[in-house]
Amino acid sequence: MVDVGTTLEIAQASQAGMSAVGAGLAVGLTGIGSGIAEMGIGAAAVGATAENRDMFGLALLFTVIPETIVIFGLVVALLLLF
Amino acid sequence: MLRPERMCRLLIAAPKGEIETIIKELYRHNVYHIEDFVPESSSDALSIGHPLADASDAASALIKVRAIENACGIDPGNVEAKTKLPVAKVRKRIQTDLPAIQKEAEELVGSRSRLDARQKEHEQRARELEPFVAVPLDLEFYRGYARFTVFAGHITHDVDIGVPNEKFFSGGVPGNMIVVVVPNEHREQVERTLLDAGFQAIPIPEENGAPADRMKAHLEEARRIEAEIAAINGKIAGIREKHTDFLVACDELLTADVERAEAPLRFATTEETFITEGWVPEAQADQIRNTLEKATGGKIYIEELEIDDDTAVPVEYENPSFATPTQMLMDIYARPRYSEIDPTLMVAIVFPIFFGFILGDVGYGAILLALSLGLRKIITGDEGRMLLKVLSYASISSIIFGLLYSEIFGSSLPWPSLLYSRHLNIGGAAAAGHGPQVAELMIVAIWIGILHITLGRVIGMLNARRIYHGKHATKAVISNAGWISVMWGIILIIWSLYAIPLMPDLTGFPGAGTIGAILLVAGIIGIAQENPLEIVELPTIISHVLSYARLVAVGLSSVAIAMVVNYIAIGMMIQPQLEAITPVGVILIIVGILVLLMGHMLNTALGLLGGGLHSIRLHYVEFFTKFYKGGGKKYNPFGMKSKFTEE
Repeated sequence: MVDVGTTLEIAQASQAGMSAVGAGLAVGLTGIGSGIAEMGIGAAAVGATAENRDMFGLALLFTVIPETIVIFGLVVALLLLF
Repeated sequence: MLRPERMCRLLIAAPKGEIETIIKELYRHNVYHIEDFVPESSSDALSIGHPLADASDAASALIKVRAIENACGIDPGNVEAKTKLPVAKVRKRIQTDLPAIQKEAEELVGSRSRLDARQKEHEQRARELEPFVAVPLDLEFYRGYARFTVFAGHITHDVDIGVPNEKFFSGGVPGNMIVVVVPNEHREQVERTLLDAGFQAIPIPEENGAPADRMKAHLEEARRIEAEIAAINGKIAGIREKHTDFLVACDELLTADVERAEAPLRFATTEETFITEGWVPEAQADQIRNTLEKATGGKIYIEELEIDDDTAVPVEYENPSFATPTQMLMDIYARPRYSEIDPTLMVAIVFPIFFGFILGDVGYGAILLALSLGLRKIITGDEGRMLLKVLSYASISSIIFGLLYSEIFGSSLPWPSLLYSRHLNIGGAAAAGHGPQVAELMIVAIWIGILHITLGRVIGMLNARRIYHGKHATKAVISNAGWISVMWGIILIIWSLYAIPLMPDLTGFPGAGTIGAILLVAGIIGIAQENPLEIVELPTIISHVLSYARLVAVGLSSVAIAMVVNYIAIGMMIQPQLEAITPVGVILIIVGILVLLMGHMLNTALGLLGGGLHSIRLHYVEFFTKFYKGGGKKYNPFGMKSKFTEE
């Protein structure tokens, strides 16, 4: 895919750009994933907490479990950028 | 420390004649957790006791007091105790003053609700009259005809009736207003015409005179009543002002009376005696035993029973005072079981460190510290206060980490970062100092994770020996050791393959990988011997350790937001305008300051949420799941800490 006119600088710049796009995708897509996962859990957790206040701790715990997905995305993004 | 307070299980038996004395003593000491007596259907030797004689009197007086409190809007939970009233005086005033206060409050509330109803009625009438104001007809002309029919109501548009009629139309009111008077013989035809135009009849008010005057009269009346209500509210506020101290004291005293009088409902009784079982902290057991014996003159039998089931024991924390607020965080998850290790102290130390690691910023830390100290005046509940204390410890840690990271509101302090730098290169902010050392920070976070999880598993081994017995205990201990061994096996294998900064470089030692593999296999066998299904959980070892990377990731995102806010507000809006001040520039500077304030406010809230939730989540999900069972009953001693009264 290397053009005749491609210089080293352009190649490096596009590499940096690509890694930025990759970082964005990593955070964005994992964010969507966490969101979808937490959607169902969160709704059920709020319901359970409304029925019984003591459930709050456990409900919070269940809700934040998928959070790990986006954290992994964030970690990958940071490693890509720096 | 590290385990709940030791409890003693006591069985108390005494003749029924002593029941009042014993209840009184137990209540006064406020340490005896009553185990409710549940009668067995098969045996009729023991039955539930009867409440003491004065139970119903105290209960009905309490209902009265609560009713007055309700009417005056007094919540004893939110009342600050100024002085403690002596019990004898309160008892006397319950006889003398309470009926009068009750009567006054009842009358005021009664007349207020009557006035409320009247005010509503007048307002309703005024609303009904409103459409008729648009029609220049007195109200008596709308009714009382033998040969005519009157239609009055809303309509979408003016219509041509087509028969002899008299008609008023007004488009000036919402929904328009039409009044048509027709002879009775055309009634049906006109009704159809009107309905086709979307006619909606409205009731004609049963009043006389001009609608506008009547409406004004009703509104004036409503306003007058409102003033009366305000006056009554003032009087009720007067009662609240004058009697709050007395009322909350009554509430407390009578609640205590009722609790004491109803205590026999939780005891087992025979014809002549009663028996109760309960729990007392070991340290107070002897004292309570002596006082009871002295009070009854020896007519009592107290025996210390053996504890056979640790789930039945009520659990009370025993922690140094700085760790007590953290008990709140424990209770949100679950109170520890009686025989397991109570990790409150570890959470109390590690939670603020995690919080500071994530939100290490002098500025945000100071804001949160001020917030937690300031809110203490507003939030009076016990739980809220404890949370605020936890927050204040966390924010102090945040300030300390901010000094180490050299961060204040996203910009740097005069010195370079003493830990690894988190300064990102946003808008050239980090050009002067070190760039961000993300990889190093990440590895530090992973180290924290490895150690934290290892600690969790070690506690798991200790807990297994306390909770389970015999073979099961050994198996559980080996399984926990297996988890540690698998984790360290994987780590050794990784170290032998890759050289990672800040971690031992074992690439030169081929033996390390072999040892790692042996540990891995041995660990898996150790896990499988307790429960083979646990093998499917093996990947969590890696995901849980990596999960600690959030300490850096969440922190960096908060740094990034702060720096972006600074760059937009200061770098892009304020600074360029300061060089040459123009009228437009001044506005831009003001907008820039607003952006700066809003941005940092938002980031403080995000930092609090991110720092707090992620730190506690690391405890709940990654740490507690390794060893913590929870599910202990709350220790709830029979008695009351008096807040408003004194003996």
